Amino acid sequence: MDASSTDYGQACAGPEGTLALLQFGFMFRKVLIANRGEIAVRVMRTLREMDIASVAVYSDADRTSKHVRMADEAEHVGPSLSSDSYLRMDRILDAARKHGAEAIHPGYGFLSENADFAAACEEAGVVFIGPSAHSIRMMGSKTAARQTAIAAGAPVVPGTDHGVSLDQAREFAAANGYPILLKAVAGGGGKGMRRVDRDADLESALRNASSEAERSFRNSEVYVEKLIEHPRHIEIQLMGDHHGNMIHLGERECSIQRRHQKVIEECPSPLVEQHLEMRPAMGQAAIRAARAAGYYNAGTVEFLVDQDRRFYFLEMNTRLQVEHPVTELVTGLDLVRLQIEIAAGGRLPLTQQQVSWRGSAIECRIYAEDPYNDFLPYPGKITRLSRPLGPGVRVDGCIYAGWTVPMEYDPLLAKLAVWAGTRADSTARMIRALGEYDVGGIRTNIGFFRQILEDPEFRAGNLHTGFIEEFFARNQRPKPSPDLVAVAALAAAVHSQSRTTAVTAQPDAPSSAWRQEGRSGLLR
Amino acid sequence: MRLELKIDGVDQPIELLRNGPDCRFRLADAPARAAHVETPEPGIYSVLLDGLSYDTSVEETPTGLVVVIHGHRFEIEVRDPRRWTRGSGAAGAEGLQTILSPMPGKIIRVLIAPGDAVETGQGLIVVEAMKMQNEMKATRAGRVLSVTVKEGATVSAGEILATIE
Repeated sequence: MDASSTDYGQACAGPEGTLALLQFGFMFRKVLIANRGEIAVRVMRTLREMDIASVAVYSDADRTSKHVRMADEAEHVGPSLSSDSYLRMDRILDAARKHGAEAIHPGYGFLSENADFAAACEEAGVVFIGPSAHSIRMMGSKTAARQTAIAAGAPVVPGTDHGVSLDQAREFAAANGYPILLKAVAGGGGKGMRRVDRDADLESALRNASSEAERSFRNSEVYVEKLIEHPRHIEIQLMGDHHGNMIHLGERECSIQRRHQKVIEECPSPLVEQHLEMRPAMGQAAIRAARAAGYYNAGTVEFLVDQDRRFYFLEMNTRLQVEHPVTELVTGLDLVRLQIEIAAGGRLPLTQQQVSWRGSAIECRIYAEDPYNDFLPYPGKITRLSRPLGPGVRVDGCIYAGWTVPMEYDPLLAKLAVWAGTRADSTARMIRALGEYDVGGIRTNIGFFRQILEDPEFRAGNLHTGFIEEFFARNQRPKPSPDLVAVAALAAAVHSQSRTTAVTAQPDAPSSAWRQEGRSGLLR
Repeated sequence: MRLELKIDGVDQPIELLRNGPDCRFRLADAPARAAHVETPEPGIYSVLLDGLSYDTSVEETPTGLVVVIHGHRFEIEVRDPRRWTRGSGAAGAEGLQTILSPMPGKIIRVLIAPGDAVETGQGLIVVEAMKMQNEMKATRAGRVLSVTVKEGATVSAGEILATIE
């Protein structure tokens, strides 16, 4: 690290320092992104637009990944296993020092909601682009967040405020009735979460949730919540600066989920669009909860909304969300840019009254997985790639033809987002864009999204978190027309024939007769 | 050329009556049809049939071909007596259970050894990919005949992990 950045680090260690720097219109010259995949690429794009140099970090599996290729500088931080690389605070901070990065953007996942990491950055004199370690502690664990929300007067779903034993879980169920939901205290992304419908299933569900929580978060504690049937998941995007200003940027509806993970998100929510009074009500509740934690930078308060449109505080995500692009498309703001400006000491550039929402945006999370086989992951080499283009289409991705999707990390390949004037038009636009998206060599959920978006219930905006399960129960896979079958058969025949020819012509063809013979042998 | 196709589980033989882009084919008992087929990119077949355009992708997997047209996916087994000599696979010979990997991934646990007796629903092998673990279970009771993978091995989708008789 050179002398000037050391000076800066000390100057910026406290809020007064940040304030002082702001007077001179301070901005970072170099930022390290402590992440990989599409979000690292997303952050780099804004850094480049702001004329700030970017530093990538990478594990063994990611040497040729897009974020490394795109960065100005890059540093290896360890083997493929994330606990030995992307989760190693010491190595990330060493990389920041070595490259002279003045700030670290954590993205989402990995270290983004780790209060110790935020604190370690502060101690090392590197700005953590996000909230304070204190706010992360108050909002990071779901139970602590509940207490903060209750204190701030936000409505919450009945539940225990701490990890429970089997007896305590049983007691809660007796008092509140089944169904109940078991959740990991340190959880996220649906890991360590179980629905329990009757007492007989409680013991094994608690054991499984607890061991999954231990594996995923190194914390086996599980708490209990009353389960709300057919809830909608609607969240509020917040943005606050270090000078006490905080605004909400409206809601996102993320009710379409599989395995408790969002797959389609939209802004505005079709429900809120019908009942516009919900937006300021939820927005103000979110701001109150965040203020109680002394929050600044980007954050999201998640609510469950029941069938009577009552909303309940669920948790707060103290970081940039995966689905932030739909908010950007509808508000016209760059949330990453705001995050960086705020972290550099800047003031929010707009007031609540200046936030406006225009049109409708939808995002589909393109995963390497097989929707017709329980959404099991499907990593592998991408042999062919063709991205949707044209009006109103945005792709945040990290994939390219020839890249092997590593099996060590999350299966998110890209986020396809579209914008149009109305929800009906953005739905039609998304279906069109999905049709243009071709990823060869692995399986993805692209075709599945088309079916969801064509579903009358989706089009009517009748969303809830069990939508996908019900969709599968309601629909057979569509029956193909005889012409479609004929074309499939013809393509298969021509393909098989060309392979025979290719093998005869060039013995080194990728799918050689020898390999084919080996495969047949294996399957015999 | 005649090929035995199994499309989504249904046997449908296809006969290519004329090769080349301007081709003629007959599917099962249907009358012969003409189509125009080009390969603009590897694995992509642009098919024109009765004036309609079908952009079709074809992918090879260990269990056959996956063909996608207009978002619709077909799983097709191609059997040419000269090359595709595979046995009847998962359906298997009388009483034989073949445990196939449901996804590409890594073997993280092998819970059985050849000769072990297993019960219906017993966990056999755990495959992991992208933070998801999948435990392969015995669909009925039997004795382990072979285990073809070791812990730590990388497998592809459809690869045989073990057989049980």
